[in-house]
Amino acid sequence: MIRRHPVEILLWIALATLPLWLGPLGGYTALGTKILIYGIAALALNLVLGFTGGLSFGHAAYFGLGAYGAGMTLKYLVPSTPLAIVVGTLAGGLAATLLGPLVMRRRGIYFAMITIAIGQLFYFIAVRWNNVTGGEDGLAGFRRQPLHFGSFVFDVQNEIKYYYLVLFCFVIAVVIMRVLLASPLGHTWVAIRENRRRALFLGLRTDLYVWAAFAISGTITALAGTLNAMLFNFTSPQDLHWILSGNFVIMIVMGGMRKFWGPLVGVTIFVVAQDYLSSLTDNWMSLIGLLFVLIVLLFPKGILGLIAPRRREVSTPRAPGIQQADAVLEEDGSPLRDSTKSLREATK
Amino acid sequence: MNDAGAVVARRAPAARASPALLRLDNVSRHFGKLQAVQDVSFAMNEGELRAVIGPNGAGKTTFFNLITGFVPPTSGDIWFDGKNIRDRSVVYRVHKGIVRTFQITEVFPDLSVSENVRVGVETAAGLNGRPWLPRHVRGDVERRVDELLDIVGLANKANRTVGELAHGDQRVVEIALALTMNPRLLLLDEPTAGMGDTETDHMVDLVRRLHDERGLSILFIEHDMSIVFGIAQKITVLDQGRVLAEGSAADISANEQVRAAYLGEAQ
Amino acid sequence: MQLLLFNAFNGLIQGVFYALMALGLALILSLNSVINMAHGGFLVIGAYLAYTLAPYLGFWGALVVGPIGAAVIGLFVERILIRPLYKRPDPLYTLLLTFGLALIIEDLTRTIWGAQGLPFQVPAALNSPISSVLFFITGYRLLVVGITMAVMLGLYFLLRYSRLGIRIRAGTLDLETVSALGVNIYLLRALNFGLGCLLAGLAGVLAAGILGLTPPMGSSLIMPSFVAIIVGGVGSLVGSILGGLLIGVAAGITTTYYPAASEAVIYLIMLIVLVIRPRGLLGQEGLFE
Repeated sequence: MIRRHPVEILLWIALATLPLWLGPLGGYTALGTKILIYGIAALALNLVLGFTGGLSFGHAAYFGLGAYGAGMTLKYLVPSTPLAIVVGTLAGGLAATLLGPLVMRRRGIYFAMITIAIGQLFYFIAVRWNNVTGGEDGLAGFRRQPLHFGSFVFDVQNEIKYYYLVLFCFVIAVVIMRVLLASPLGHTWVAIRENRRRALFLGLRTDLYVWAAFAISGTITALAGTLNAMLFNFTSPQDLHWILSGNFVIMIVMGGMRKFWGPLVGVTIFVVAQDYLSSLTDNWMSLIGLLFVLIVLLFPKGILGLIAPRRREVSTPRAPGIQQADAVLEEDGSPLRDSTKSLREATK
Repeated sequence: MNDAGAVVARRAPAARASPALLRLDNVSRHFGKLQAVQDVSFAMNEGELRAVIGPNGAGKTTFFNLITGFVPPTSGDIWFDGKNIRDRSVVYRVHKGIVRTFQITEVFPDLSVSENVRVGVETAAGLNGRPWLPRHVRGDVERRVDELLDIVGLANKANRTVGELAHGDQRVVEIALALTMNPRLLLLDEPTAGMGDTETDHMVDLVRRLHDERGLSILFIEHDMSIVFGIAQKITVLDQGRVLAEGSAADISANEQVRAAYLGEAQ
Repeated sequence: MQLLLFNAFNGLIQGVFYALMALGLALILSLNSVINMAHGGFLVIGAYLAYTLAPYLGFWGALVVGPIGAAVIGLFVERILIRPLYKRPDPLYTLLLTFGLALIIEDLTRTIWGAQGLPFQVPAALNSPISSVLFFITGYRLLVVGITMAVMLGLYFLLRYSRLGIRIRAGTLDLETVSALGVNIYLLRALNFGLGCLLAGLAGVLAAGILGLTPPMGSSLIMPSFVAIIVGGVGSLVGSILGGLLIGVAAGITTTYYPAASEAVIYLIMLIVLVIRPRGLLGQEGLFE
């Protein structure tokens, strides 16, 4: 159905054999697992960010909800890995679905601000609801459980076996996202990103499709969160914090937000760099910050954008400052213009 | 000039008898103190090719925005196909067949020509929410896309990125996008704006063909008088938000008020 | 009752800081089209500069120089890092850039001044309560409210009557037209950014006198300031002030009854406002939608 690029086949081979070669290269399997987990989250966030054009800066909320959902299921309900995954994913997905309508009509800056702020609600709940969530110290005291298939037991407490469970989830997430992006729904998302007004005048209820993107993206991000909680058998409010949301976004931008695999490239570099830098210097936060600045200034299209330059620079003929007033200014006699006139006279 | 507006307004009840495709009854729109459109009545039948002209600020764009539902009228009614649509959304009107293009080209710049048209085709078929399509439906979509590209003459550029195309071709893509929605009324906002001579000829030819061969009802705003007089069956002149005159090319070019308000200034 | 008053007043003081932050953020948001994630960083810069300079300049000198220092650094940042991004219409990039700056500023603050909290000495005369019943109202707290009100009034007159202010307001409505009138919009945006950072620095110095200094003080104040803008309505400066005071007092009152929810309540208010009044309390129609 979807033509495979040779590089993509190489990628799958590399992922399937990762535990064999990552060790000799100086890594460790859990690092590979973390890359896949963050990869799921970043690819999912990119459905909104890169493909629908919604500046979501609050996706850590859904990641963290997935993590807490899984951890609390294992700790308080049933010691079952599959159930933990399902509960966590649904918890995060439900939150994204319910909160979607609050952001679906917004654009650009406002979309970003509201998603950032909403995310913090869950952060403070996790921090303050001590006796259930473990508060600032995080939620511990749960363990991922072996998978039972009849009499066959797949013991994912083993790191390598857990890697393959995560890879399995990664494959499912990737297949779902690819199918969606190749479907009319995916085409609609891209159309909304490209030109929301044109989409509206084609008779598209743009807000509903933005909502769908947000809900699906949040659900898959939550899946990543559940896997992350079980990787470390621990989760903390940091998994809900806006700093993590920002990190997801920079990973995506670094890799290239207009390419499907861009986020995974960014995640790989980011996770490896963070792992390395945090063992090297106490000031790794500054270095990560510097990375943000340099990427924005020098590589705005991301690494995959460099290798295969995009077909056209994204730019509109309008000055950046006025795009907010876009819809209203379209009118030749809008109230905004009108009030500008009086100001114009005052400025003379 | 008020007389002309009043004459048209009085004529409106008569128009009610014949089943007009689009009718505006005494529609006004104010923005604060600014009266963008004042007491405009207008009727257009199925299959007509009509033009709206007027100096800058005459209210032409607001007139279009009122018809498409982008801006609600302050007062008055808008009828389409026998139904009052004054309170209906943009999306509703598009699905009823009122489709427009914009003065500043509005396309999906980073997508290819066929991807652009495909979005429209899928929308028109109501497939947008589908997360998956069976193979034969996908084939139908592709065939419809090809068909539309043939109609507008862009088949040879199907895989080009729209943002890279010449301005004239981008505007044709926008028309193809509009056609995907099976319009019953096509509104074109200055279709030839910013075009060179060949591009303009191509566009005029396209508009004429859409009308002649497909019987499409088209209403367009245009500044180029040679185009307006060349292809429009009937011309409506707006000035300061009011209908100044309405009639055939000959009527309009002979109209003293129009000459004073508009043509004199342009020539 | 006294406890409630105490907490409400504490909340009001917090709200004053939120409002000062939100005001600067909102100015930068509307004219520069930048969500300044580093705004908390400028607050920290103002606070720590004041702390460092206070032994030499005294409290009052530091109170003036701290915010100005934050503004000057803000001007540099705007000129060197943010200005090249104005031509990219996607707000994503400035958001990420200022985000990175926020991380850098917080980390460097920790390296230079240490991770532990530092006290900021205010003149002893200001520290005594004005009455034994209202023990929580100290001279310093009144000073904070007074200075903030004076600054807000000053800003109001600046925006309303000065040439710079009128141009800033016109620019937020239609930058293109203002540019076409021959106003140097780069200078205008730079000054506006500096003005926003000045307010952040002021909030920092004032907050330091009550909360003390810690490197993350900026990042803990910036989120409520976002909420203040959303609650007040994007595009309305008065709304941002109102939103800041409102959530501050609400958080304070909540502390009396259910302390654990004092932060969450801020975000709940935001959700309620977004559901009932999507544009915020004083937001303008059409902007940012």
